[in-house]
Amino acid sequence: MYRYDEFDHQLVAERVEQFRGQVERRVSGELSEDAFKPLRLMNGVYLQLHAYMLRVAIPYGTLSSRQLRKLAHIAREYDRGYGHFTTRQNIQYNWPALARIPDLLAELAEVEMHAIQTSGNCIRNVTSDQYAGAIADEIEDPRIISEIIRQWSTFHPEFSYLPRKFKIAVTGHAHDRAAIKLHDIGIVIVRNEAGEIGYEVHVGGGQGRTPFIAKKLAEFVPKDKLLAYLEAVMRVYNMLGRRDNSYKARIKILVHETGEEEMRKLVEAEFAQIDASKMLEVPQAEIDRITRYFEPPAFETLPAESAAFNKAQADDAGFAQWCRTNVVAHRQLGYSIVNISLKPIGGVPGDATDVQMEAIAELAEVYSFDELRVTHEQNLVLPHIRLDDLKAVYDRLVTHELATPNLGLISDAIACPGLDYCNLANARSIPLAQEISNRFADLDRQYDIGELKIKISGCINACGHHHVGHIGILGVDKKGTEFYQVSLGGSADEHASLGDITGRAFTEDTIVDAIETLVETYVGLRHADERFIETYRRVGLTPFKERLYAE
Amino acid sequence: MPNSKKLIIDGAESSNIWHCFDDETPLAEAPAIISLARLQDEGAELVAAGKKLGVILRAGEKQGEDVHALKPFLDNLAVVAIEFPVYRNGRGYSAARILREQMGFRGEIRAVGEVLFDQWQFMHRCGINAFEVDADVSLEAFQEALDELSAAYQPAADPQRGILWRRHN
Repeated sequence: MYRYDEFDHQLVAERVEQFRGQVERRVSGELSEDAFKPLRLMNGVYLQLHAYMLRVAIPYGTLSSRQLRKLAHIAREYDRGYGHFTTRQNIQYNWPALARIPDLLAELAEVEMHAIQTSGNCIRNVTSDQYAGAIADEIEDPRIISEIIRQWSTFHPEFSYLPRKFKIAVTGHAHDRAAIKLHDIGIVIVRNEAGEIGYEVHVGGGQGRTPFIAKKLAEFVPKDKLLAYLEAVMRVYNMLGRRDNSYKARIKILVHETGEEEMRKLVEAEFAQIDASKMLEVPQAEIDRITRYFEPPAFETLPAESAAFNKAQADDAGFAQWCRTNVVAHRQLGYSIVNISLKPIGGVPGDATDVQMEAIAELAEVYSFDELRVTHEQNLVLPHIRLDDLKAVYDRLVTHELATPNLGLISDAIACPGLDYCNLANARSIPLAQEISNRFADLDRQYDIGELKIKISGCINACGHHHVGHIGILGVDKKGTEFYQVSLGGSADEHASLGDITGRAFTEDTIVDAIETLVETYVGLRHADERFIETYRRVGLTPFKERLYAE
Repeated sequence: MPNSKKLIIDGAESSNIWHCFDDETPLAEAPAIISLARLQDEGAELVAAGKKLGVILRAGEKQGEDVHALKPFLDNLAVVAIEFPVYRNGRGYSAARILREQMGFRGEIRAVGEVLFDQWQFMHRCGINAFEVDADVSLEAFQEALDELSAAYQPAADPQRGILWRRHN
């Protein structure tokens, strides 16, 4: 993975000192909360319902064991012993004291981490495929260009006061695990007919109160032109994006109001200007330097089958089940990709304790070439595990209650922090995720239901991605009472779609029954091994709606 | 410019010789900063009369004024004042870069409005060389802000080379 050089180290260190000065000016009263707000937001510090929250960037979701150990240490020393992994592959701490945040950031800098641009109206942390470099049939490891984008966008002088926040996601694989079509800019690494690698660029996707699937603005941007193209999109947005209403300020609204064709023309005109200067073509030597950090680790040459692995599965049904749900085929023979579910039955989605983080760090160090990933579905990944080692890894995970075999199943829900933490929320999300998880606790039943993505947001800002849940749940407030609106048929992958609202919202007493009704309806309607989303796309909303609102 | 402001041009405190005029007031002898609309209406005759001209580019909320509209007048403009009505409204950063990098403007680009400590370095990188700041800002503090980050990853309108380029000479 990428390692800082002296420039990276120096800039992060300077930023810590800059923020230390800003915090001192705030604490002394020289800076008002209003003037301090954009500065703390540039450094990942939010003011939540009960306390400040700090969001730490995990670029494209890749971590080393040393970094995860530091995150565990911070959870213990600066917070209440846990951290929360987010849908943008970051980690949040809910209870740090403002005065101690500069020290916390200095500790992060020791392990090449920071909280820069994890909030505020700037280009946020770049996200990517959690299986990058481990999955077969990848066109190119998306972390290479993600790292270049990370550097280009860091402290960008022109794009630090955008109309609104700006999120970029990259995938190098035909199967999109990074939800690129729901981002301000989504990049797909593609190969053209001449065999050259380049980028398909999607612009204007997003969720929130006005969800849109991104429009494909460019079919093929050559490799050396991507930064110029990105800068062109950003400049058009910075100049023309609305600043009169924060709900209409994202680039999705600009694309929608301008029209796809006109937007493409504007971007191409700006691109022609920037491209002519050649100033954003990164030297090949620098691309090569960054690429070397993402070369495959020193895999052993192993047979495709492992006798030890086969025997362990035969001996231990629980292990065999976990392998079926949480383990994915690796590009390298004899290896596998392990998903660690942070969705224990009845637990808080995405939370991990300091002790759990340390245990996972150790597994990464011993078994996975020191590498870890965070997924946008709020789980963790050990990307390179030998089949021979799977049982040992599993046993350690079981010890730490990290071996829930539910990846992609109904209890593997995304949930935003909701009214338990967030001052924007209308309703609680976490307790509802827990209730659903408890209702469907029986794993055999979950396996029978199969892949079903539930996504829960506590308000219309859609941090829990409810628009793209197979079943989406949105918390709404009616006269001080929490209600939940349900939508069906959303999806965040390469076949991205927005869910259809079923109708009248449910109370907290009836919402879990409603989910159960939807699941039973699906089970009754499905053909053979059809997944929920496939059945829904075949039969549509009506049969679900009829059952849901039958008296 | 109210007295509570100070003008820093190219790192030095400067007296402001420019007067801002609204669209109705007749222009006096002194150099005048006028609106884009007035520049478009009266620019040609003012230039013919030998008037020294500057313009203010308004940022707006729903939309801002288009920097490209200055193109026909650039040779006769000594100052382009770019408005930052609130720190959050960052349209002017793009306008400044386009002026410097694409339109070849070499005159003064002045940031006016809410122009705060933590923005100066980015503004400077975008090609802004004059800053209308609060009167109590010292030149030392100003210079400190300009040097706060010692390097930049990306190229912009200043001569500084991006780190992605500097690593390989």
